[in-house]
Amino acid sequence: MQSETARVTTARESSYRVQYPNSKRRDVKVVALDALSASLVDEVSREPWNGAKFFTSLSFSTDSAPGTTGEGLKAWLKDLAGAANDLVEEVASSDFVVVVTSAGEGARAVSLIADACALHNKSLVALVVPGPETTDAQISDSMTHLRPFARMLVIASGADYISAMLTALRA
Amino acid sequence: MLKKEQNEYLTQTGPGTPMGDLFRCYWMPALLSEELPEPDCAPVRVKLLGERLLAFRDSEGRLGLIDEFCAHRGVSLWFARNEECGLRCPYHGWKFDVNGQCVDVPSEPAESGYAKKVKLKAYPLIEKGGVLWTYMGPPEKQPPEPEFEFCTVPLNQTFSSKRIQESNWLQAMEGGIDSSHVSFLHRGDLANDPLFKGAAGNKYNLGDLSPVFEIAESDGGLLIGARRNAEDEQYYWRITPWVMPCYTGVPPRGDHPMHGHFWVPIDDESCWAWSYDYHPTRPLTDGEVAAMKDGKGIHVKYVPGTYRPLANKDNDYLMNREAQKAGRTFSGIEGIGMQDASLQESMGPICDRTKENLVGTDNGIIMARHRLMRAAKALVEKGVIPPGVNPEHHKVRQAALLLPRAASYTEGAKEALIAKKGVRQTSV
Repeated sequence: MQSETARVTTARESSYRVQYPNSKRRDVKVVALDALSASLVDEVSREPWNGAKFFTSLSFSTDSAPGTTGEGLKAWLKDLAGAANDLVEEVASSDFVVVVTSAGEGARAVSLIADACALHNKSLVALVVPGPETTDAQISDSMTHLRPFARMLVIASGADYISAMLTALRA
Repeated sequence: MLKKEQNEYLTQTGPGTPMGDLFRCYWMPALLSEELPEPDCAPVRVKLLGERLLAFRDSEGRLGLIDEFCAHRGVSLWFARNEECGLRCPYHGWKFDVNGQCVDVPSEPAESGYAKKVKLKAYPLIEKGGVLWTYMGPPEKQPPEPEFEFCTVPLNQTFSSKRIQESNWLQAMEGGIDSSHVSFLHRGDLANDPLFKGAAGNKYNLGDLSPVFEIAESDGGLLIGARRNAEDEQYYWRITPWVMPCYTGVPPRGDHPMHGHFWVPIDDESCWAWSYDYHPTRPLTDGEVAAMKDGKGIHVKYVPGTYRPLANKDNDYLMNREAQKAGRTFSGIEGIGMQDASLQESMGPICDRTKENLVGTDNGIIMARHRLMRAAKALVEKGVIPPGVNPEHHKVRQAALLLPRAASYTEGAKEALIAKKGVRQTSV
């Protein structure tokens, strides 16, 4: 007699899987950490997304330098319309955060975002998309800054990966 | 998540499909050498990429992989007589050589030249490292022979097996690059399996169940690094190479042989899961080979006389709920290979990726799909040779090592990730 497992793993039985949605909309915050990645993020933002929100820069008050945590954290994310949004509030209302850098100094700002993520137990994914002029040393430098904070750190050779990844994550 | 059309794009490998064209750029494992052990031995049916073929070794030891069916009336040549440098169909005596060329049509005068006008499709079949490899693409684009380290070391240093998996190739291959499942599904085996136990690095796997991942593109595919906390301001890194389209390496443990897989489509609903073990610098011990033949490590026990796993869907994979409850196995299934296969087959013949919910740590899978689609598109639209065809891309190694916390694994493990003849693997 055919086992239950053999019976239910046929293509025919697969067609009987329930067709109701199995998850809710994701609130993903995508933050560019430097000018080059800001233009990439700006471009990606024009595609249709479920609940993703895009930011092109991070600014912070002098008493919120990297390393500041908790309520002392004062930093703002600039959205595509140019408005400043409180970093901590944006992170608090997210499901997870993606930072994008083309490699270089911008990666240092990630520690502030990581602090906000730690404050609200959110995952941080970091994506390094090297520009045409980016050197291996700059990539390595970025990775060093990002490594302590990101649960997943990706070096992608093309900007099209930003879209591919966000789509895969239902952003 | 993939859109329905993307899922179909990646999972369909038959003739004329984009992924089918991509796979037909590479040498792929087709059979074990043991399946064609001697001249004039019995031919073997082979289905690859949705094409039914027949493999045989002729009277002079030459290897052939040809269309399974006789050009006369469509009889399967599996019934043929393998004799005098060719397969003779038992129905009316037509005979074909290793190139698929018809060499005899008994009902027609030899002088008529009729036989010369009949030729079955044939693909090259070469022997390397105990494996018979085929290339199913256009002859004029046939690449140089594969150079994966496991098939270039002396035969007493390498061991390969294969098992049929009743699922599409992609969900099987994705298991090979999904490092995050190891700490759950396979946790019981690190301490007990003879091909894993005793390695110093095992304590890091068992002591830190939340690895952090880094993904970097390589010339041939990806390098997937998983790091865990270690003593003295270090990280324990396990680095998994993926070479396009379907080769994966498992990071080593101590001085145990290194292992990994090929995931080769049979058709869209089944694949061959190839498993290799090798040591770069020493012969495998009798004990290691015995363990591999007994289904330990990444190998499996078979239904006698077949390459079908003894634990399979027909017997519920010999599910042991008691062992699951007691924690001897996490899933209740014994053996690493079948722990993976049972769950991957449970997804159905072709996983419906429109319903999945990936997370950040699934980026290895996301990027592999992205690279496959990008390469297939470039091949079909512009004729660009995909990554992984160049044999230099095969000379990559898996590695497990301790690095200072500030170090990049792609830099810190740069030498360790290159296969070098006579150089031991980098392993903890």
